[in-house]
Amino acid sequence: MRRLLLCLIVAGAGTFGFARGAAAYPQFQFSSGTNKCSQCHFAPAGGGLISSWGRSEVGDTISMGGDGGFAHGAVKLPSWFAAGADLRLATTRTADGGDESPQFAWFPMQADLYARFAFGEAFSLYLEGGVRGEARPVDDSIGGRFSGVGDRFISREHYLMWRPSASGPYARLGRFYAPYGLRFVEHIFFVRRYTGYELYNETYTASGGYVSDEWELHLSAFTPPPSGFPDALQSVGARESGGAAYFEYRMNGMSALAAQARVGIGKDESRYQGGAIGKLWLEPAKLLFLGEADFIIQKVTAASYTQNQFVSYLGVTYFPIRGVMLSPMYERFQENLSVAGTGRNAYDLEINIFPYAHFEVVLLGRYMMVGNQGQPAATLMMAQLHYYL
Amino acid sequence: MHNPPVLSGRSLLLVALAAVAVVGCGGTTDDRPAKWSFISPAITEPSCATVNCHSAIAQKAGVDLHDRAAGYATLEGRGFVDPTTPDASAVIFMMRGQGSLRMPPDEPLPEADIVLIRNWIANGANND
Repeated sequence: MRRLLLCLIVAGAGTFGFARGAAAYPQFQFSSGTNKCSQCHFAPAGGGLISSWGRSEVGDTISMGGDGGFAHGAVKLPSWFAAGADLRLATTRTADGGDESPQFAWFPMQADLYARFAFGEAFSLYLEGGVRGEARPVDDSIGGRFSGVGDRFISREHYLMWRPSASGPYARLGRFYAPYGLRFVEHIFFVRRYTGYELYNETYTASGGYVSDEWELHLSAFTPPPSGFPDALQSVGARESGGAAYFEYRMNGMSALAAQARVGIGKDESRYQGGAIGKLWLEPAKLLFLGEADFIIQKVTAASYTQNQFVSYLGVTYFPIRGVMLSPMYERFQENLSVAGTGRNAYDLEINIFPYAHFEVVLLGRYMMVGNQGQPAATLMMAQLHYYL
Repeated sequence: MHNPPVLSGRSLLLVALAAVAVVGCGGTTDDRPAKWSFISPAITEPSCATVNCHSAIAQKAGVDLHDRAAGYATLEGRGFVDPTTPDASAVIFMMRGQGSLRMPPDEPLPEADIVLIRNWIANGANND
C-alpha cells in the first residue's frame, strides 16, 4: 500500500510553480533613464500593466526595435482604457540528485490579461485575470483538486486606485502585493519566496504613499483573502495579516537606498522582518548592481519557538547592447541562524533578450546548494519565450 | 553623466557585505521542537504548499499541506508516516529522492529538516 501511495505521489508530483506573477523588472530602473518604477507602470510601486510612457520605452530603450504600443501600435485605445496580456512558454531541466533526476518539462507558464479603466484624471479600476501555469499535466487518476484549464483561473490583482499623476500621493485598495523588496519577476528567488511574496501570495491590501523623483514611500495594511472566497480569488502561502513599509531614497538618478519592514501575524506563526536594499547604476560600464538583505524573526506560536532567519540577494546586470541583459546573481537563505545545515545558497545566471518590442527570450541557469552535510546540489536550467501585448 | 557619490557607493557596498557576511552563520545544535506544530508552519507549508503543488487550491496528487490540520490529516491519514519504522516512512524516501522524484522538486529540503521530520515520526508522529 505504501509503495502504491509512493508511486501515486511521485507520478503526480507537484509542479514546479514557475508561473510568473505581475512583478516588475527592477533592472530597468536607472538603466533605462527612468528614476522610478511608476514612470512606466500604472502601479505606484511598479509591476503589471505598463503605461503609455512605458510602452514608448519598450520601443525606444528596452527592445532592439519595434513599436511598444498596444497591439504593436495597430490599435489605438481610448485614453480611459488600457489593456495588455502576458503569455509565457517555458522549458526546464531540473536535477536534484534524486533517483528520478533529471526531470524535463515544457509548459505554458503564464497567460494573463490586464485591463485598466480610468475615471477622470485620478481614479482607476485595475483588473487582472489569468490561468495558473502548470509545469506538468495533472493526472486525473491520481487526484488533486483541478484538472482543467478553467479550474486554474485566478485573479491575482484587482484594485481601485486614486493617483492623480505618476508623481505625488496615491491610495490603492484591493488585491495586490504590499510594496516590499526588489519585486523581481523571478518568484523562485529567495528574497521573494521567503519574505511573504511567493507566487500567488497576493493579499487584500490598503496602501498609500508618495512617489517623487528623489524618494518614494509606501505604507500598506494587508490581510489574506477570506476563506469563503472562491478559489479564483484565493492566495497561497502563509495566511498572515499585518502591515508593510517601504522607503526608497534616490541619489543623482543613478543609485538608491531603501529601508523596509513587514509584520505578518498568522494563526500558527508570525513574522517580523526588516531589511535594506541598494541599487547602483554605473552608466559608463553599463552595469546595474542590486542588493537586498532581510532579517526575519519567525515566531511559531503554536510550538512556542522563535527562530531568526536571513535572506539576501546580490546581483549585477550588464547591458552589453540594447535589448540584452546578462545577470549573474547570488542568493542566500538561512532558515534558522542558530542551526547549522539549514542554509541555502543559489548562484544564478540569467540572460534576457528583447529582440523586438513585445518579445522576450529568457535563459536562466541556477545552481543551488542546500545544507552543509554533503547533500547533492540542485540545478535548474530554463528557457522561456515571453510575449506581451 | 553623473559621477557616483562616494557615500552612496560605500553604503551600497556595506549592504552587499552584510548580505554576504551571514553566509557562514548557523550553530551546531538543533534545538527546534520535533513537533508537528512547528514543522508544519516552519517547514512544510513554505516549502511544499506552493501554488501548483500541495496548496489548498492545487492539492497535487490529493496532498494538501497548506495548514497544520490538513497536512497532518494527509500525512497520517494516508500512511505517509510510519512511527514503527520512521526511516522507512514514505515521506522520508520522497524527501531524499530515494525511489522517487525528490520532494520538493524545485528546492530540496536541508538534511537537518529531514532529520527533524524523521524525529517527529519516531516520536509517534503525533499532532502535537
